[in-house]
Amino acid sequence: MYPLKRFHICLLLVWLIASPLTAHADITVALTKGFVKKYKDKATIPTTFEVDKHHNTPNPIGGGSDDGDVHIAGRDTVVKLPMVAEIINGKRESDTFNFLKQMSAGQSVPMVGVWRLWFEHPGSEDQVQGDPVALPADTNPDHIFEFHPVAKFANFDCLDSFVPIADQSNEFRGYPADKAFGSYEQRPGTITATDNAIMIMSNQARYNYAEFEMRLTGKPKEVADGYIVLANVFNAGAPPSADPLTEQPRRMIFVKGSPPADKIATMVKGDKLHVLGIPRVNLNEVYAIVSGFQGHDEYSAGGLPYEMIIVALLKD
Amino acid sequence: MGLFNSTILEVAIGVIFIYLLLSILCTAANEWVAAITRRRGEMLRQGIRQLLENQPTRGEADTEAFLREFYNHPLITSMMHDKNHPTYLSPRTFAAVVTDLFTAAKPGVVAFDDLEAGGKELPEGNVKKSVLALVQRSSRDLEAAQVAIEGWFNDAMDRVNGWYKRRTQLWTIMIALALTLVANADTIHIVRQLGTDPVLRAAVVEEAKVRAQKPRPTISVEYKDEDDPTNPTVTRNEGNQLSEKELNLLGQLLGWHDNDNVSKDKAGKDWKRLWLERIIGWLLTILALSLGAPFWFDMLNKVMNIRFAGKSPDEASKKPDKQDAKLRA
Repeated sequence: MYPLKRFHICLLLVWLIASPLTAHADITVALTKGFVKKYKDKATIPTTFEVDKHHNTPNPIGGGSDDGDVHIAGRDTVVKLPMVAEIINGKRESDTFNFLKQMSAGQSVPMVGVWRLWFEHPGSEDQVQGDPVALPADTNPDHIFEFHPVAKFANFDCLDSFVPIADQSNEFRGYPADKAFGSYEQRPGTITATDNAIMIMSNQARYNYAEFEMRLTGKPKEVADGYIVLANVFNAGAPPSADPLTEQPRRMIFVKGSPPADKIATMVKGDKLHVLGIPRVNLNEVYAIVSGFQGHDEYSAGGLPYEMIIVALLKD
Repeated sequence: MGLFNSTILEVAIGVIFIYLLLSILCTAANEWVAAITRRRGEMLRQGIRQLLENQPTRGEADTEAFLREFYNHPLITSMMHDKNHPTYLSPRTFAAVVTDLFTAAKPGVVAFDDLEAGGKELPEGNVKKSVLALVQRSSRDLEAAQVAIEGWFNDAMDRVNGWYKRRTQLWTIMIALALTLVANADTIHIVRQLGTDPVLRAAVVEEAKVRAQKPRPTISVEYKDEDDPTNPTVTRNEGNQLSEKELNLLGQLLGWHDNDNVSKDKAGKDWKRLWLERIIGWLLTILALSLGAPFWFDMLNKVMNIRFAGKSPDEASKKPDKQDAKLRA
């Protein structure tokens, strides 16, 4: 140990000043408060979806991003943000996919999809609900909002796609729980609000699908279009004594009529399920945070509130 | 010795720790001021005044008559608590009250024609002009006219929010300035003290370690009833409170008591430079405080990890949930 020299003091001061400036740029999505309030406890949003671009074949099934999804880029009349819709188990939903392939660009269909706000492909521009949405150039434009999975497309019910993503030779399993939730729990998030709008800021997220075991800490609550339940998260097959991977129980979202929802409806506190899920921003928490603002109109230190959409039950 | 020798890092930890404690105090002071001044409610009042003033009514000729009637409407009086202005007014309520005041002479169910006729009967004024201009583009549909009035209110609220945000930022800077001057929180002086006093530095680093184990100073959200995952509770966590030891350390590092080198050196030739340093030190502190407590909490943890990576017995004995505690509070 030795006393600081002037050069070191200068270096230290430069570092202290520069460190805030090196914080990476985040992307903001601005939502109306009315939208957040309306959909915070809903699994899905019914809308009219204008199809602009779509996959000609579903994604292959394998590992990483080979998730078997069908991507559709388009615009809608309710959410009014840059978006995509994703039909999971695209090969399995052949009727829906054949109908989609026959559609011409700009054609609209009624659609019900699980709403999902997540910074998976945020791009570099802020996104404001209600701003004109540019015609997407490909099937995966920059977006923070998506309908994923699609529950109903035109007259085609897609709820039977909420099953393990598999074909004859492969099964897509998602990322292991410890890896995925380790990342979800650390997502940065800043929430600000005005009287009429809520802004959520974060940066690009990873680990889209997660395979995990959920252990119910409460009983499932039925909402208009699904079930919501609080559960602790574990690696698949974790021993009963294992510590949960999340600091507190997380909300799990089930879409009414899907096989996972049929299962959860019969379950009670303490039961467990091995599932495949995808994260989305928990707008219920966001709304509670914003409603609790006093003086300061910013929340930035608690991470990005999230919950999991359960898309399939997996076998142990 | 490289930059990351232990003294440099420990001084950095100390400075960040002091910034964190001061930021927590700054946040508390800002919230207190916001509550005392009822800042949001006052901003909303100004916004509504801008929309509704300069409008006489049928019964009263003064320019604030319409505004007064607006505030006397039962839908608005029911939102006043102890005569304090509400902090939020929904566009729908605003439009409903304005429509009701325009059609006050018409009992029962009102239609678009009643709204238009009521507006035309009002004496000349800003509200009359604005509302009639808005409703003329609503295809003679009452619902559409109300939506147009809501839009008018929303536009005004966007301005109010802009004022509020600027006012809050200004208050944050002012409170940081006041706190810095009152506490004589001169960054350069703090760096010097920590660099030259190993005992004080060790005490600060030790306390910084304790602080890093606490939850982030933030709001926490919990679902207290686990059977109701739609009803969360929001609370400020313990990370927002300063311990007695932390306050004592602040007392040792800050203040006007024994570090007033300026007056001591006044006889010498360097007093101008010392004042300049002091002002730069204050400005650095104010800049730092404007970044907020959560930022400095994160920074503290990052630097602690560099300093104690794989070395500290405390670190080694930490429970795995320490990471969670710092990430979500």
